[in-house]
Amino acid sequence: MIEHLGPQLFNGLVLGAFYAIVALGLSLIMNLTGTINMAHGSFMTLAGYLAYTMVLRKIPFGWALILAPLIAVLVGIIVERTLVRPLYKREPFYSLLMTFGLSLMAEEAFRLIWGPNGVPFSPPPALAGAASLGFMQFPTFRIFIVVVLLIAIAALALFLTRTRFGLRLRAAVQDTEMIAALGTNTQVLYAVNFSLGIFLAGIAGVLAGGMLGLSPTSGNNLLMPAFVTVIIGGMGSLFGSIIGGLLVGIAISMTTLFIPAASEVSMYVLMAIVLLVRPRGLFGEEGIFG
Amino acid sequence: MSRPVLNRRKFVTIAGAGSAAAVFGIPAYIPRVGEAADAIKIGLLEPYTGVYAGPAENETHGFEMATDAWNKRGGIMGRKIELVKEDEQNDPGVAAQKARKLVNQDKVAALCGTVSSGVSLSVAGVANTLGTLFMDSGGHSDDVTGKSCHWNVFRTCHSTWMETHATGYALQKRFGKKWFLITPDYAYGHSLEEGFKDVLAHNGGRIVGNELTPLGTTDFSSYLTKIDAAKPDLVLVLVQGDDYTNCLKQMNQFGLLKKYPVGGPQVELEPLFGLGPEAREGYWGIEWYYKSEKTLGKNNKVAQEFVAESIKRYGRPPTARNAFGYITLDRLAHAMNDAKSTDPVKVARAIEGVRFTSIFAGSAYYRKEDHQLMWPMWVAKIRPNGTPGDKYDLFDVTDINAAEAVEQTIAQKEAVCKLGYPGA
Repeated sequence: MIEHLGPQLFNGLVLGAFYAIVALGLSLIMNLTGTINMAHGSFMTLAGYLAYTMVLRKIPFGWALILAPLIAVLVGIIVERTLVRPLYKREPFYSLLMTFGLSLMAEEAFRLIWGPNGVPFSPPPALAGAASLGFMQFPTFRIFIVVVLLIAIAALALFLTRTRFGLRLRAAVQDTEMIAALGTNTQVLYAVNFSLGIFLAGIAGVLAGGMLGLSPTSGNNLLMPAFVTVIIGGMGSLFGSIIGGLLVGIAISMTTLFIPAASEVSMYVLMAIVLLVRPRGLFGEEGIFG
Repeated sequence: MSRPVLNRRKFVTIAGAGSAAAVFGIPAYIPRVGEAADAIKIGLLEPYTGVYAGPAENETHGFEMATDAWNKRGGIMGRKIELVKEDEQNDPGVAAQKARKLVNQDKVAALCGTVSSGVSLSVAGVANTLGTLFMDSGGHSDDVTGKSCHWNVFRTCHSTWMETHATGYALQKRFGKKWFLITPDYAYGHSLEEGFKDVLAHNGGRIVGNELTPLGTTDFSSYLTKIDAAKPDLVLVLVQGDDYTNCLKQMNQFGLLKKYPVGGPQVELEPLFGLGPEAREGYWGIEWYYKSEKTLGKNNKVAQEFVAESIKRYGRPPTARNAFGYITLDRLAHAMNDAKSTDPVKVARAIEGVRFTSIFAGSAYYRKEDHQLMWPMWVAKIRPNGTPGDKYDLFDVTDINAAEAVEQTIAQKEAVCKLGYPGA
C-alpha cells in the first residue's frame, strides 16, 4: 500500500489541476454575472471535437489547442449575446435552466455531427508514451497537461492583476453599479469575462479529449467534479477553485487506493465536511482572488 | 444596473438540482412510423439518446433489415410488420413506462430491444405482468435468462456467463493464471466477475487485483497505477462503452499495454472505432463479426447478403449489434408465422427449442429451459489498423466456443430459473 502512496498523490495532483481549470472557468462566469453555466461541459466537448477535426485535417496539435478553444469562444460570445445576457437581470434559476437546456441540445447536436460513438483523438506522437519520474512511469501527455494548465493559470492571474481590463473586471465583481457609473461599458466586461471562462473550458476540453475519450457526453461528465470543486474552494474565490481542484483530485486518488468503490463518493464527502466546518467554502469571500 | 445576488446556499441548491437533472436524464421524443392498417406491430425499445445511442442505432438497423426482408416476402401470415420505436433513454423507469405505452396504446404484438441489462430486466418484468412477449436483443446480464427468467422473455445476445467462460478459457491458455480485473461496479460487472472466478475455480489460478470502478469513470489512472505492483499475467478489462475507451486509452498512456497482455469478456466494434490504433490491443470476446468464415460460416449466402446489404444501406459494415437486431426480429417473425398466431404463449412455444440457421456459423436454438439463444461465442485478436483497404476489419477471429461449452448447464439453470408458463 505505502509504495503506491507517492504515485497516487502525484496522480491526484495532476487530476486536480484538471478539475481546477474547469472550475476556474465556471467561477469566472459565476462571480461576475451570477450565471451558473451548465453548458460549460458542452463548450469543453465542442472544443475537443473541433480540435479532433482539425488534427484530422492535418493541422498540428499545438495549433488546434489554441484555435479550437478560440472557435468555442466565438460560439460562446454568440450564446452570451443572444441567450445569456437577457437573463442577467433575472434570478440565477433562469440562466441555469437555459444553459442546462443548451447543454442537452449541444449533446444531441454533437451526436448528429460527429456520431453517437466516441471518436479516436490521440495526443501527437511526441507526447505519447510514458516518461520516467524516478518513482514511477508517468504519461508524457499528463506532464504536458500540467505544464499547459500552469501556464494558463499564470496567464489568467497576470491578466486579472496586471492589466487595466483585469482590474476593471475585478472591480466589477465587487460593485457593478459603481464601475458602470464611472463610465466602463459593463456589457463588454461581461462578454470578455464569459469568453475567458469559455476559453479555459476549451483548453480543458481539448486536453481532456486527448487524455480521456472524446464522445458527446465527455464534457458533461467532468462538470460535476468541477461544481464540487467550486463549492469546496469557496464561491467568489478563483484561488479557492485551484486549491479545491487539487483537494478533489487527491481525495479521489487516495480513496481509490484504500477503498476503490468509494472513489466517486469521496469528493461529495469532502464537500459535505467543508460545508459543515466552513459553510462558505475554504476561500469563499467576496471578490476575485479574495 | 443591478443583478440578483447569488449566495452560497442558493448556489448549492441550484447546482445540485441542475446536476441531478443532468444525471437522471431528460425525456426525448422519437417520432413513430406511420400506422398501417392490419399490420402486425412490434414495439422496439432502444436507448436512442444517451451513452448507448451508438449500439441502439445499430440494433435498430438490424431490426429494420429483418422487417424489410419479411415485408418484401409478403409479411407474417400475409400481414406486414410495422416497427414502433420508442426511446427508453437507458433508464429502467422510463423503459417500463414506454413498454406499457407500446402494449396498451399501440397494441404491439411483442416488445424487442434494449442495450443495458438493468433496462432489459425492467422491460422483462413489465412484459411479464402484461403477458406480452419480450425479446431482449442486447442486455447481457445472466439474470435475464437466469433467476429473473420468464416464460415470455427470450434473449438473443450472449449471457455474461458465456462471455466470461469463452474468453476465460482462451486467455488462460495463452497467458497464465494470475489475473488483474478492472470491473465496473454495478450488476453487470459483478456478474462478469463471478463468471471469471468460476473459470479460475475450475482451472486453478487467482485474481491478484480487482478494481471496482464506478460507472462513468473518466480517469482510470488511480486504478492503473496499482497494476505494476500486482504483477499479473493478464489484465482483464471488464468496463464497457465510453469507460472502455477511456480505460484502454489511459493504459496505453501509462505504457501498460506494452507490458501486460490485455483482454476482456467482450468488446464491440463501436467503442473500438473511438480508440486510436495505438490503444487497440489484446484478445477479446466477440459476439459476431462481419468478415470471418469462423463467425459467418462457409458460403453462408444469408450472412453474405446481410453484410452486403448493411454496407449498402448504412455505409459501414454491420456490428454484432446489427446482428442481434436482425436475428431477434427474424426469429420472432418465423415463430409467429409457424404458430399462425400472435398469441404470446403460442409464439413462445414456437420459438423455444427450434433449431435454425441464420447469419452466423452453424445452427442455434433458444434453449427451452431458460430461453437463452444458444449460439457460438468467439474470441478475437485485435488488428490495430484493420486490413489493407478495410479500416473496419479490426478482428482476427481466433477461437470458436460452442454455446453448450460456455453457458451454464440445464441443471444449473433449472435450479434458479422457473419460466412459469400460464396454466403450467
